[in-house]
Amino acid sequence: MLHIHQLNYQIKSKTLLNNIDLSIKPGELIAIVGPNGAGKSTLLSSIANELKYEAKTFQLKKKNISNFSANELPFYRAKFSQHHAAEINLKISEIVLMGRYPYFSNEPSSTDWEIVEKWMQKTETKHLEDREYEQLSGGEKQRLHLSRVFAQLENNINEKLLLLDEPLNNLDVAHQFKTLHLIQAFTKKNNAALVVLHDLNIASQFADRLLLLNKGSIEIFDIPQKVLTQERISKVYQYPCTIIKHPITQLPIILFG
Amino acid sequence: MQNKIAAYKYSIGIFLIIALVAALYLGAYDFEKPIITTINEYLHTKEHTTDSYVLIELRLPRILMALFTGAGLAICGTSLQGLFKNPLASPDLIGITSGSVLFPAITIVLGNHFIDWLPAFFKYALLSIMSFIGALLTMIFVYRMATTNGKTNILILLLSGVAITALTGAVTGFLTYISTEEELRNLTFWSLGSLAGANWWKTFIVILFVSIGSFFLLKKGKVLNALMLGEKEAAHLGFDIEHTKKQIIIIVAFVVGSVVAFNGTIGFIGLVIPYILRFVFKSNYNILLPLSIILGAVVLLIADTVSRTIVSPAELPIGILTAIMGAPVFISILINYKRKM
Repeated sequence: MLHIHQLNYQIKSKTLLNNIDLSIKPGELIAIVGPNGAGKSTLLSSIANELKYEAKTFQLKKKNISNFSANELPFYRAKFSQHHAAEINLKISEIVLMGRYPYFSNEPSSTDWEIVEKWMQKTETKHLEDREYEQLSGGEKQRLHLSRVFAQLENNINEKLLLLDEPLNNLDVAHQFKTLHLIQAFTKKNNAALVVLHDLNIASQFADRLLLLNKGSIEIFDIPQKVLTQERISKVYQYPCTIIKHPITQLPIILFG
Repeated sequence: MQNKIAAYKYSIGIFLIIALVAALYLGAYDFEKPIITTINEYLHTKEHTTDSYVLIELRLPRILMALFTGAGLAICGTSLQGLFKNPLASPDLIGITSGSVLFPAITIVLGNHFIDWLPAFFKYALLSIMSFIGALLTMIFVYRMATTNGKTNILILLLSGVAITALTGAVTGFLTYISTEEELRNLTFWSLGSLAGANWWKTFIVILFVSIGSFFLLKKGKVLNALMLGEKEAAHLGFDIEHTKKQIIIIVAFVVGSVVAFNGTIGFIGLVIPYILRFVFKSNYNILLPLSIILGAVVLLIADTVSRTIVSPAELPIGILTAIMGAPVFISILINYKRKM
């Protein structure tokens, strides 16, 4: 459903993304991993059309991205950014309601409010309703924006694309796993998600495929068992590591050091 | 929430009615007959008595002028604050009001002989167009000055406003030296701000401009809310941010220009009204925009009624009253900032 061929991005003479080719099928959860400065966020921003990249082919749902109109894209594609506004002088539920803005012109329908309510419950932010946004912790803000992004893609359209830039930052372990389960439930409904993750072990447990970036190029894009080999990870991260198997899932686990 | 908004709308509405009635009856001249009788008599005879002249030619247009001027300034202030994401961005503080004084002032003094030839409507239209051009140029100037890579620096924005205000002060000061007595009166009137010059033609133009402008600005609630998330996030919700910015800048110049052309610089309304509303509704522009229209209208009508009754038969310039309201608000916003630093 997402098809990209020869995507390049450079600022002045510095190449940040080099010949990126990738194809994603509906139902896939893809983790973008790699060391600092590998271009993970840049790649995600390019796929979100926030940057002026060059690409031979860039198709979403078999249609050229430039053929989508600005007000139809929000129904198919949503992005969760790494940095969030420090100050939003609105009620908590009104912030989540913004995800429904593409769906109504003046007054939100009762369905819109129900969807807001549903996602606030799923992300466990319902109890924050009477708090001030500025006083929420980093993790709470994070979950709030997550529910906004999920509320945005709540519709009957098939094959939607969710882009998440380090959604697990600031989250405690339980919320990290709960969030990943929400993303997984989303992709299981014939949608796709691209998630920038730092924790290779979490990526290994949850992602269908890993996209390992190194210095702006794709090192390998494959299932976790093939990507996470001792030799490759040590080389890319320039740090020694050992690979073992998760006792229950049998997926690779990496121990650094 | 809906009930709360409705309750506020109704209570402001009741205020509006009280203010309207008070504004009709209060003034330097006391009516001899009931207002309905006066209007009836005028419609039959088509000839003005003192009563009907004061009512129809002076008070009614002035009341309407006050309502629409207040509404226009308030919604423009609210929109600018949303656009610049700052409660200090109001038309007067960022210099738009001053900028829109500059051009008509030059027109009055240099184009004096030419203007007198024009019929009333064209003369007023010309002045408001000049005002609009001044407002627009100022908006573009301060915006360009203060914005780099889509981020607006509020300090530079306000200081650019100070610069424009200083420039306007200098030019109008110079113009007073070379102007005749009649022109001089017009110039002073502008720098002080007053609704005393309202007549039906001017009022008609202001009603037209403010209505058109408000019609477009009222649709901006969602995008102004979304801008609080950041420009990229707002774009992901389907909003065309650059287009929105251009639209708001042009409409604000259009509305402020028309209002200033006829009433001079009435300050602080665009600052005070959203400030009051934010106490109750936070920064939800879906609510702030419509309510600022009503509240702005009421507040300016009350201020104008006070300005023409408090030292009756003379008049207090309305700018004094709005500044009395505005300065404390300005200071309290600054104190708020200081706390956050």
